[in-house]
Amino acid sequence: MSTLTAARPFTKLRLPSARVAVAVLAVVAFLAVAGGAVAPHDPLLQDPDLALRGPSLAHPFGTDYLGRDVFSRLLAGTGTTVLAALESVGVGLALGVLPGLASLWLGRAVEWVLLRAVDAVMTLPFIVFAIAVTGVLGNGLTQAMVAIGVLFAPLFFRVTRAAGLSLTRAQYVEAAELFGASRWRILRTHVWGKVVPTVAVTAAQATGGALLAVSSLTFLGIGVQPPAPTWGGILASDLGFLAQQPWAPVIPAAFIMVAVAALNALADAIRPGGAR
Amino acid sequence: MTTLLSRPPEAISKSAAPAERPPRKPRGWIGTVATPVVVFVFSSMLTFGLGALSPSNPAAAVLGETATPADIARMNHEFGLDRPLPVQYLDWLFSALQGDLGRSYFTTIPVADSIFAALPVDLAIAGLAILLAVLIGGAAGIAAALRQGGRLDRAVTAVAAALGTLPPFVVGIGLIVVFSVLLKALPAGGYVALDQDPVQWLRFAILPSLALSLDIAASIARQLRTSLVGQLGENYVTGAVVRGLGARRVLFRHALRNAIGPALTVLGIGVPMVLGGAVVTEKIFNLPGLAQLALQASGQHDIPLIQGTLLVTVTVVLGCNTLVNLALLRLTPQGRR
Repeated sequence: MSTLTAARPFTKLRLPSARVAVAVLAVVAFLAVAGGAVAPHDPLLQDPDLALRGPSLAHPFGTDYLGRDVFSRLLAGTGTTVLAALESVGVGLALGVLPGLASLWLGRAVEWVLLRAVDAVMTLPFIVFAIAVTGVLGNGLTQAMVAIGVLFAPLFFRVTRAAGLSLTRAQYVEAAELFGASRWRILRTHVWGKVVPTVAVTAAQATGGALLAVSSLTFLGIGVQPPAPTWGGILASDLGFLAQQPWAPVIPAAFIMVAVAALNALADAIRPGGAR
Repeated sequence: MTTLLSRPPEAISKSAAPAERPPRKPRGWIGTVATPVVVFVFSSMLTFGLGALSPSNPAAAVLGETATPADIARMNHEFGLDRPLPVQYLDWLFSALQGDLGRSYFTTIPVADSIFAALPVDLAIAGLAILLAVLIGGAAGIAAALRQGGRLDRAVTAVAAALGTLPPFVVGIGLIVVFSVLLKALPAGGYVALDQDPVQWLRFAILPSLALSLDIAASIARQLRTSLVGQLGENYVTGAVVRGLGARRVLFRHALRNAIGPALTVLGIGVPMVLGGAVVTEKIFNLPGLAQLALQASGQHDIPLIQGTLLVTVTVVLGCNTLVNLALLRLTPQGRR
């Protein structure tokens, strides 16, 4: 990792792929905040006469089995989906980054316990664990996403640890120790800035993964009560009517995949030391 | 560019943080066997602790609103819920090790019975998925490496990259649309046990297995291609060819043995992914597996059943990881040193 790009990790944001990604994410963020307000129809309004129609001017993505406008449901469902994904990444960051640094600076006993705990958490499959947690703590999207966040923690732990490991033996850190700088000061002034770009890349990737996790969970009916719309929930209701509308799942799937691809492209763009 | 959920954390941290420390030395025999035991103890604590976190009193939930405090106390005593938590944990762990996972709060059916009715479905589907992943990914990876830079190589690389970004449920739904709705060749859902009718089983199992396998097949193809291309450029391969050994012998006995490590690691991490992804796939294809059991248990807040499914899943995952690590020790020259 060259120091130059590490110090200025955001220069590659001018790449075309990065610009497209940022534009897509800006649209997603706008819809997450205002999706329900800009939706052309009421996402919950049922009209049996219009059930399972194909795309038209009034309903650009057609209607579902209850005659609800799919376009409006997708827009209105963006907020829930995105918020849930960000929640889990926040939990993962909170539980992963500081323990990752702690494992390097607080001695071997702490390190051993943390590493075994990380190994144990990594054996838990994402969706099964989230289902189990909602079974115990109640069927809410927050419970499910905290569970997903706990499983993201090992990822942030390992990334932070890997980025910090070389710094524990860096000469300027040793020099700072010799000068009598406290551990906390070394972490804050010498380590933190080197670790942040790597953590940012991982957070962008993890948000993509979290979007897929939210979609999988809402697809399974975890976390959200019908008729509230989510991307995964729309996909699930399309699945029952494949014989009538085999093309319908393409639309919510495309929303999910475009958002995930944009996050991955952003992760590549802000990666220190070159997009690989 | 694989989606994060379907990708091993190691791979992500590797790509996110440029190589800053040497690759970990393969563990010896003792470490390979002892580490999973320690991890299992940690995992079982997590699983048990999850149940202990539950805010609702199971006895009150099962008995309903008309239950008297005496009834609740009696049921708590019956399920052993009136003892201190560490005692409960140890009791639960040692019973579980003997195959007794407790009884469902609602049906009082032994949890182990429910799980071992559902588990063969997942194992059969996951087994077929792994087999398909190894066959498809292995063949594609070797073919791409042998024709490095050629049209086939570029095709494999492009398809593998595209497959990596597809969420598992999209692949599953796509397969249903193509093979069940449009071609009407295969059933869209349902299940027949393998030991009842293997041919029917295959008709029901092939689409879900394929849906689960493609992501891992893509990873295997990519890893195998990269490491095999590296090995084929090594001096010992040239030496073997110069000594007049047949191309097949050089590939399978020499180069592949050295190149297989990363692909095997992907496979080891793929097993938990298959089991995790199986939840959504089970739902799409309407399979009576472990995930349906977990969903049902979750809906009813049936703590013993939830803990049981989680513990069994974790055990299967750990077992598979250990097997892959042992295979790595045995197969790769670095591991045997």
